[in-house]
Amino acid sequence: MNITKKAEDKKLTIGVDGRLDTMTAPELDEELKASLGGVEELVMDFSDLEYISSAGLRVLLSAQKTMNTQGEMTVTGVNDVIMEIFEVTGFSDILTIK
Amino acid sequence: MEEVKGRLQDNTAIITLTGRIDSSNAAQVEEEIFKLLSDGEVGSLCIDMQGLEFISSSGLRILLKLRKIYGDYRLTDVGPEIYEVLHMTGFTELMTVEKAYRRISVDGCEVVGEGANGTVYRIDGDNVVKVYKDANALDEIQKERELARLALVLGIPTAISYDVVRVGDSYGSVFELLDARSFSKILADHPEKMDWCVEEYVDLLKKIHRTVVPAGKLPDMRRVAISWAEYMQDYLPEEPGRKLLQLVRAVPKSNHMLHGDYHTKNLELTGDEVLLIDMDTLATGHPVFELASMFNAFVGFGEYDNGQTKRFLGFDRPVAFEFWRKSLAAYLGTEDEDRIRAVEDKARIVGYTRLIRRSIRRGGLEDAERKAEIELWKSELLELLDEVDDLTFLPNEIRVEATRKNLAPVMQFLCAHLEQAGCSMKSQTELELAVEEIFINIANYAYGTGTGEADIHIEIEGDPKQAVITLRDQGMPYNPLEKEDPDITLSAEERDIGGLGIFLTRKTMDEVHYEYRDGSNILTMKKKI
Repeated sequence: MNITKKAEDKKLTIGVDGRLDTMTAPELDEELKASLGGVEELVMDFSDLEYISSAGLRVLLSAQKTMNTQGEMTVTGVNDVIMEIFEVTGFSDILTIK
Repeated sequence: MEEVKGRLQDNTAIITLTGRIDSSNAAQVEEEIFKLLSDGEVGSLCIDMQGLEFISSSGLRILLKLRKIYGDYRLTDVGPEIYEVLHMTGFTELMTVEKAYRRISVDGCEVVGEGANGTVYRIDGDNVVKVYKDANALDEIQKERELARLALVLGIPTAISYDVVRVGDSYGSVFELLDARSFSKILADHPEKMDWCVEEYVDLLKKIHRTVVPAGKLPDMRRVAISWAEYMQDYLPEEPGRKLLQLVRAVPKSNHMLHGDYHTKNLELTGDEVLLIDMDTLATGHPVFELASMFNAFVGFGEYDNGQTKRFLGFDRPVAFEFWRKSLAAYLGTEDEDRIRAVEDKARIVGYTRLIRRSIRRGGLEDAERKAEIELWKSELLELLDEVDDLTFLPNEIRVEATRKNLAPVMQFLCAHLEQAGCSMKSQTELELAVEEIFINIANYAYGTGTGEADIHIEIEGDPKQAVITLRDQGMPYNPLEKEDPDITLSAEERDIGGLGIFLTRKTMDEVHYEYRDGSNILTMKKKI
């Protein structure tokens, strides 16, 4: 997994590529915890994300909870397979997917 | 009355002591021994005490003097009374003292089996003795006993001889008489039990191959096979010869156990327990080496002289061929004929190499019939060398320590199988999710604060194809499927972060079930791919 960050004022775009699984999710979690202060618009760019397991979903949920209190979060570039996982788990109702 | 005799065998002086040695004759015995030893070029010393009845401290002093000159020498065939004296005085720690073996006679005993290296006699109602043909078989016997003990300790069911005896000038191993029938006999008498035999045979084979052997305990089969390939260089054209060597060298090293001679004569059914016998060929290595010797036993060995199969295994060649093919399919966990054939071809390369070398070393090129047999194997081998570029294959089971960092090899194993089977992207992702979830659960919780192993097993079966994946651990009994479903209609604030993985697993798999059996948590998932 690779994480890229792009910050413009109060907008932060985080790109995640590769596999977001049990082993890599903690890294994303830490990155988010360290970067979300003062952010009002968070964009999770999943264009190059291949795989997400429940550990990755938990990180997303926690980011969503944080952003609900300080602004908004959108998820972009979701592929079909990952979209399916969001649907099965009800995440498609929680997340703003564009 | 004492007697001292001596002889020189190779470089070893063997002194035989009989009768009593005490202060009245010790000086004379000592003189005779040193006189005998001065007669030749003595490298090492061995004292045969079979006929020695008594030794006093003056006799022991002679043994000490000899030790100063010859270092750690051997006392053999030491009777119980003399052994007790040597033990009490600490001599058993100063030199190598071999106890006398019990002597038995097999005169008039029923012969219950005959093998390449010995004959098995029934000595009474409960015991049999395997008498070795080679009079110097002691090392071989001890080696086999040690190997059997090692296998038993590592969890492989086997029969161990409980005593070594002298039978005339030979040695014998004594075994408890088991009311056992070999798988060869079962197949010969009850061909309808074929499928049952295949299942038991493959179960035990997998158990052997799962077993990790501590370093240095068993020979490395890869190195042995490299030496076969090297030997073949003189008998194959240059290019195929070189390819053979390169293929064998490219097989990765492995510390997993191989039996080395795994055919139906070496599996015995006693009661409802399956026992493995003939443990002298145990080794470590990649399973392709095992499959090679299995192919030889069932097919390759009798390929020229078809009668060999029946003479060797006790059943007809078509039965042997069917048994081999069914076992290979079950071992690989696939019904895909192409895949089975591909692995068979790899095994045949090593198999023919071994057969050809063995026959040439036994003078096969000097006999017209056997030369024709070698030519047949050789033509098969050359054809295979033209087609096969890799001797390894994917096993359908792996065992790893149940830790989070082993998620990567588990996923690699799973993906390799699914890709090979042509699985759709969507099904593959869902299977990956499910396996990750269950494996991480095992890694996190199954063994508490301790550690343990997890086995992951995959079979691709049926049409349309479905993947059947089993995860197994020996941790605390725990059924993850009992975990309550998360409420997926709740908002982000209300949602708890747990339970998602199991929920996903249940939702995306066609079938999931859990059982706790024989000390193992077993979770099986099925999904069309």
